[in-house]
Amino acid sequence: MERVIGTDELQSGERRSVFIDEIPALVIRIEDQWFVVEDVCSHDGQPMTDGELIDCSLVCPRHSARFDLKTGKALCMPATEAIRVFKVEVRDNAVWAAL
Amino acid sequence: MCVWLIAVEECIDVEEMNGKAMSLAAKHPGRIGFDIEVFEQFLSGRREADWITAARRDAFEKYTQLLAQELPAEEFKRLDLRPFNAELFRPVSDSGELEAVSALLGETSDYGGRIVHQDGHAVEVSGSDQLAEKGILFGELQAMLEQHRELLEPFFMRRAVSPDADRFSAWHAAFWTGGTLLYVPRNVEVELPLHSLITSTRNGVADFSHTLIIVDEGARATLLEETASADADSAGLHVGCVELIVERDAQLRYVQLQNWNQKTWHFAHQAGVVENNGTLQWTVVGLGSRVSHIHQDINLAGRASSAEVNGVTFTSDRQKLSYYTQQHHQQQGTRSDLLYREVLRDESRVIWRGMIKVDIPAQQTDGYQRSDALMLSEEARCDSIPGLEIEADDVRCTHGSTTGRVDQDQILYCMSRGITRNEAMHMIVEGFFQEVYDRIPIPVVRDTLSQTVQKKLGIETLAADVMSADDEEF
Repeated sequence: MERVIGTDELQSGERRSVFIDEIPALVIRIEDQWFVVEDVCSHDGQPMTDGELIDCSLVCPRHSARFDLKTGKALCMPATEAIRVFKVEVRDNAVWAAL
Repeated sequence: MCVWLIAVEECIDVEEMNGKAMSLAAKHPGRIGFDIEVFEQFLSGRREADWITAARRDAFEKYTQLLAQELPAEEFKRLDLRPFNAELFRPVSDSGELEAVSALLGETSDYGGRIVHQDGHAVEVSGSDQLAEKGILFGELQAMLEQHRELLEPFFMRRAVSPDADRFSAWHAAFWTGGTLLYVPRNVEVELPLHSLITSTRNGVADFSHTLIIVDEGARATLLEETASADADSAGLHVGCVELIVERDAQLRYVQLQNWNQKTWHFAHQAGVVENNGTLQWTVVGLGSRVSHIHQDINLAGRASSAEVNGVTFTSDRQKLSYYTQQHHQQQGTRSDLLYREVLRDESRVIWRGMIKVDIPAQQTDGYQRSDALMLSEEARCDSIPGLEIEADDVRCTHGSTTGRVDQDQILYCMSRGITRNEAMHMIVEGFFQEVYDRIPIPVVRDTLSQTVQKKLGIETLAADVMSADDEEF
């Protein structure tokens, strides 16, 4: 696993764009939970960087497809396929992730 | 595995992120292009005529303006350029030590002339003296421009590709490092094909090679061009430009075989202009590169001009190849016929956005475009978007695109007749490309493509993958 961010660098509800193994990804903190998901909508193949966060899901800013941050599963149309989620570990005051 | 943060991406709260986040490009232009310091350093290493330097400065000004703007959404929104970092690449002032780079086309045929570029600089030109006896100019672009300014200046980045066409053409116009020039005078035929090889041999080199071909009235020529990397691990950047000018009654056959390694970023603005009764046959082959974007314009500027465009693309791993093609019918009785075929493996992605544009005077136009994709894995993705924009009322324009997977029934059919699964897969993929091969009248290109595709197919691995996927299904 690779270190992606320090735990003190994001507050709840904040996010940061990173590249993990050259894959664009979003690190998202919600309360004390950390999520790392691929930052590409499975519907149109474009970034979701600015997408709204609703509960534990990320909404694509273009067509409102919604993805579960824990599983990557598509929760509503027009997306039907999941996005990739990274395995996450929090240790040594940092967030670590890998596919 | 490596992880790196986009340091400039600041923490933004959720409300702010909903539509207000500033683009990465606006925050950190060094990642997407070169600044004035790089430009001045580049100029200091050049030995060239003042008028060329002046043109570069004009282009750099346009480039700076375009760099501050977002890329046109329709052309670029499906292409993810976030991982691109221009700071990792710089043009170099010399070709370095000569390296033998294996060429796909270069090793299989005799040519009437040959030019080789390494890291943006010409290292070999052959056949130009014999061609010169017929008045044909074939050689390194900068030298030719300086020697024949009056003849060539009206063409160079004026007739086909304008420096302000987009960010990449402006970038190229400011930094072009050399290239291939072919000028065929009126009613002269170049009997044997000519060959141009563009290679990249060092890590971090930005190559801005240019290709300018002018086939004057009634003349004929064939140029085969290919790009290649010396090894699989050197990261490179190629910002290219291709200008094909086919004058009245002339005929040009041009093949470009892109075979960079999978660490290379490849951007190119390519345009052909065909005048009255001229014919352009243009074949684009995309095999290599990590990310590539080709903007291809076919401008049918003269009455009864015609163009046939062939595309062969084979992607694997995490390659992303993007094409934006435009068949622009500007005059009466023009004909265009575009056929692209793509095969995608692994997690690769192909984007094709095609447009047939017909102007008001272009009555009796016959335009056709088609893109077919064959998906060899569930993780691959292909976006095909054909389009028509027609202003004339007496035309025939048709378009279409298909995307599908290998039909398991076809494999079963072959196997029931004693053909192995490997052979069946090979036959299906070869058959898929065959229609494009049949349109290419140059045997060496057809044969090379067939062999290269076979090699890239890795039939053994592929069949094993398909077999295990089938086992899972059942």
